[in-house]
Amino acid sequence: MVTKARIITLPARLSKTRQLNAYPWLTVVPVLVLVAFFTIYPFAYAAYLSTHKYLLIQPGNNPFIGTRNFEQVIGDELFGVSTRNALVFIALTVPAVTALGLAVALLANEKLRGMGILRALILLPWSIPLISTGIIWKLLLHGNIGALSGALMELGVIDSYIPWLSKTDLAMYSVSFAHIWREFPLPAILFLAGLQTIPAELYDAAAVDGANAWSRFIHITLPLLRAPLLVILIYETMISFSVFDLVYALTGGGPGSATTLLSWYAYTATFKFLNLGQGAALSFIMAAGIIVFILLYLKLVPQEEVSI
Amino acid sequence: MTRVDSRRGAILYLCAILLAFYILAPFLWSLIASIELETELFIKPTHFIPQQPTFANYLYVFTGQIPAEYAERGLLRSPITQEARFIPQGLANSFTVALSVTVINLIFGTLAAYTFARERFRGKTAAYFFVLGSRLLPAVAVAIPIYIIMKNLNLLDTKLGLVLMHSAFTLPFSIWVLTLYFQSLPSEIEDAALIDGCDRFGVLKNIVVPIAAPGLAAIGAFAFLFSYNEFLFALFTTQSLNSKTIPVMISAIGSNPDASYTLIAVGITLSIIAPIALALVFRRYIVSGLVTSFGR
Repeated sequence: MVTKARIITLPARLSKTRQLNAYPWLTVVPVLVLVAFFTIYPFAYAAYLSTHKYLLIQPGNNPFIGTRNFEQVIGDELFGVSTRNALVFIALTVPAVTALGLAVALLANEKLRGMGILRALILLPWSIPLISTGIIWKLLLHGNIGALSGALMELGVIDSYIPWLSKTDLAMYSVSFAHIWREFPLPAILFLAGLQTIPAELYDAAAVDGANAWSRFIHITLPLLRAPLLVILIYETMISFSVFDLVYALTGGGPGSATTLLSWYAYTATFKFLNLGQGAALSFIMAAGIIVFILLYLKLVPQEEVSI
Repeated sequence: MTRVDSRRGAILYLCAILLAFYILAPFLWSLIASIELETELFIKPTHFIPQQPTFANYLYVFTGQIPAEYAERGLLRSPITQEARFIPQGLANSFTVALSVTVINLIFGTLAAYTFARERFRGKTAAYFFVLGSRLLPAVAVAIPIYIIMKNLNLLDTKLGLVLMHSAFTLPFSIWVLTLYFQSLPSEIEDAALIDGCDRFGVLKNIVVPIAAPGLAAIGAFAFLFSYNEFLFALFTTQSLNSKTIPVMISAIGSNPDASYTLIAVGITLSIIAPIALALVFRRYIVSGLVTSFGR
């Protein structure tokens, strides 16, 4: 009897052990395959493209050319222009988005009746397709039917409609304005979450010590928001650096090259001039640029000391 | 003291109203523009309240009945485009793709994340960082190769191609958020169930999933929004009505000189209803998901 029982149970236990070993991989492999296939492999492929001559209009002629693609895109006149534009765009949007996000978070953190409605609204600009945002703002900023001009005229600020997007000296500000509307919700939410972790006792204690609202903000709130601040700066810089949909919908890089950002230059190299090698080289240059920014922020934003 | 308080309250409310206006005005304007006649849109100064509100353009999009006002304007310019008639199909494509991506994220994301959170196995760390690391690659860098891959697999201009691509882009994020979420749950009940002879999958299905609903709602909402909103990849991998999503369609209408501004506004309005509804309904989960993923 004993022997028989062992014979019956042994295979069952064996198969169970094997199943337990296979289970983790069974759950992880589908994801690994998909991710490898649609991100890692294409990335390696892009590395290959960037070091080869690869024009779609000249199929079959793809010699290895080392760093020539990089030299050519950097040597192009548009590279300087679009790099400068990209930096201007970052300088216009990232601080604005961060400051507006913080202001909104401070407001939404007030314990007043009805603030719940505001907190619900904050997410909306962030939730819709960027391309819809772009077209909405195209209508708002239009030179003939633009509601922004209409409203400003009604208020007596301007006396004729302004084509915000087709004037060379205004286009960059206009695109930035639309971008800020779209992007401030995320910093607002992250700052709000940060504010909610600050214990009220800290403020009470400071108030007892006679600190006014401003000095409480400077000495308590800001230092305790360092962690979200760093994340927001890095993330928003990446977003501003790689902005595409908005430029596509609003200006197409124009007028002239007024809103040709580095990301738009990479897009045109790839999809207009079908020079895949140069497009790939540009995207690597952009990736390097992002890393430079991350290192810069890590240095600039004082880090909390590592604590338990 | 109370006077200062009430003045402070008044200022705060004023700020809140201004902010609400800043957020809502662009939405309201596209709604207004979508029910104004184009002739009225061109009147200066702008009519912020339509004098003859009309749903004729919505009717055109859904039934093909050409608005009477356009016929009157004669042969000079007929500011209407057949493209607008494809909006319902575009919405249907977007929903099919985005819902599929959501389901894939919920199933495969949950399975993988739970394994990363609880199992110990060789190669786990490597696999985890392999998945997460893929998020660091800039989208532009993989755009061209993905086009070539999709072409070689005959996936261009198919909804399946979009679903696979969007899933690959969203899964790392979902897995990250869910792994953190699962790790934050107490494991005692799960351990007890394992000792009682339940296997990992049984524990996940019967014990973890029911209590992890908020985390699942968050990643589901993210996956849906990402896929529904994604433009660049949808733009260059789709060509026909068979797979064009709503962002691709409204961008075409938006830059079509034949489309009236009213019609463009109709397109925008129809494109943003779903994400706005989702953002309002799932707000709590989306916010906690964002906070989890970005850290406090």
